[in-house]
Amino acid sequence: MKNFDELNGLELDTIREIGSIGTGNAATALSSMLGCEVRIDLPEVRIMGYNEAIEWIGGPEAITAGVLVGLSGEINGIMLSVQQLEFVNLVLQRMIGRETPGYEELEELDRSALVEVGNIMISTFINALSSLAGITIKLSVPGFAVDMQGAILAVPMAEFGGQSDYIMTIGSNFICGERTVPCRLLLSPDIRSLNFLLKKLGVLDG
Amino acid sequence: MDDKLVVGIADMKMAKGMGMLVTYALGSCIGICLYDPAIRLAALIHIMLPLNMETGRKSPLKYADTGIRETLREMERRGASKSRLTAKIAGGARMFDVGGGGSLGNIGQRNIESVHMTLRREGIKLLKEDVGGTTARTLLFDAATGQCCVRSYGKPEVIF
Repeated sequence: MKNFDELNGLELDTIREIGSIGTGNAATALSSMLGCEVRIDLPEVRIMGYNEAIEWIGGPEAITAGVLVGLSGEINGIMLSVQQLEFVNLVLQRMIGRETPGYEELEELDRSALVEVGNIMISTFINALSSLAGITIKLSVPGFAVDMQGAILAVPMAEFGGQSDYIMTIGSNFICGERTVPCRLLLSPDIRSLNFLLKKLGVLDG
Repeated sequence: MDDKLVVGIADMKMAKGMGMLVTYALGSCIGICLYDPAIRLAALIHIMLPLNMETGRKSPLKYADTGIRETLREMERRGASKSRLTAKIAGGARMFDVGGGGSLGNIGQRNIESVHMTLRREGIKLLKEDVGGTTARTLLFDAATGQCCVRSYGKPEVIF
């Protein structure tokens, strides 16, 4: 069994490719939901220690929204979409026609829109992954939370923390007209699933 | 508050006599404040999981059981006496409610139980706690007084 920090160059490139294709598909889904063209920057896939990942996302105490989906079936894991305020406002402005000054002011309808957008982005990403690897992945009902981002990121970390000290982050920017907003996704398969996935993609070394 | 010592995840720091220890954004994780009032030695641990079942036990501070025991040893090395030590804890929340997710998100509760059990086994008195619920907590621990402060999003501060 290979852990995240033991992956070789080819395995990492494959993971990066999954990140690119998945994010590309998520952007297309976002385009149709928002009714505008959404492009992405080249996604950056990183494997980091817990404390490093929390600094990467902008520090532990900043408030953010998170949509979390549990993965089961041939892959066991968690996928998380972190929705920072610029992203939230892009979604709300396009879907509901107004923006919010902060997370405190989110109304029920806003929250539903954010859950739906997060859920569809994650589902599209996972569908792309399923067809690339030729495997079946089941998705749970999405969970939603608005709170300190350190605590939100700690959810996938803790879930598989007994197996790994690392977490995989996928970062990019969505570009929609004049606006560029961050896209922050975390894909956390357990270690057995990570190895199974790489094997299915034909790159697992040994 | 300029000399805050920041405790990361799966981390522990100590301060003696003065200084503020802080750990940010405890979700299902738990912050454990151990204090010896006689020598004003304070230790803050940020654990993530209930029980250490690693074969090599490379990161004892990640787990409630080994994290507390490792810290007790360090504190005794610095002159603390186990009979004087007291504990205050915060964290163990459930951040997401995922329908049909099974055990997903249940780690907070298991962490609380494991911290309680380890403290009891070590004979450390638990003075106060602010645990469970669904919100994240930032925990501050003052080495001069042994006082703790919990900061949460959209809630008043709790001092205990």
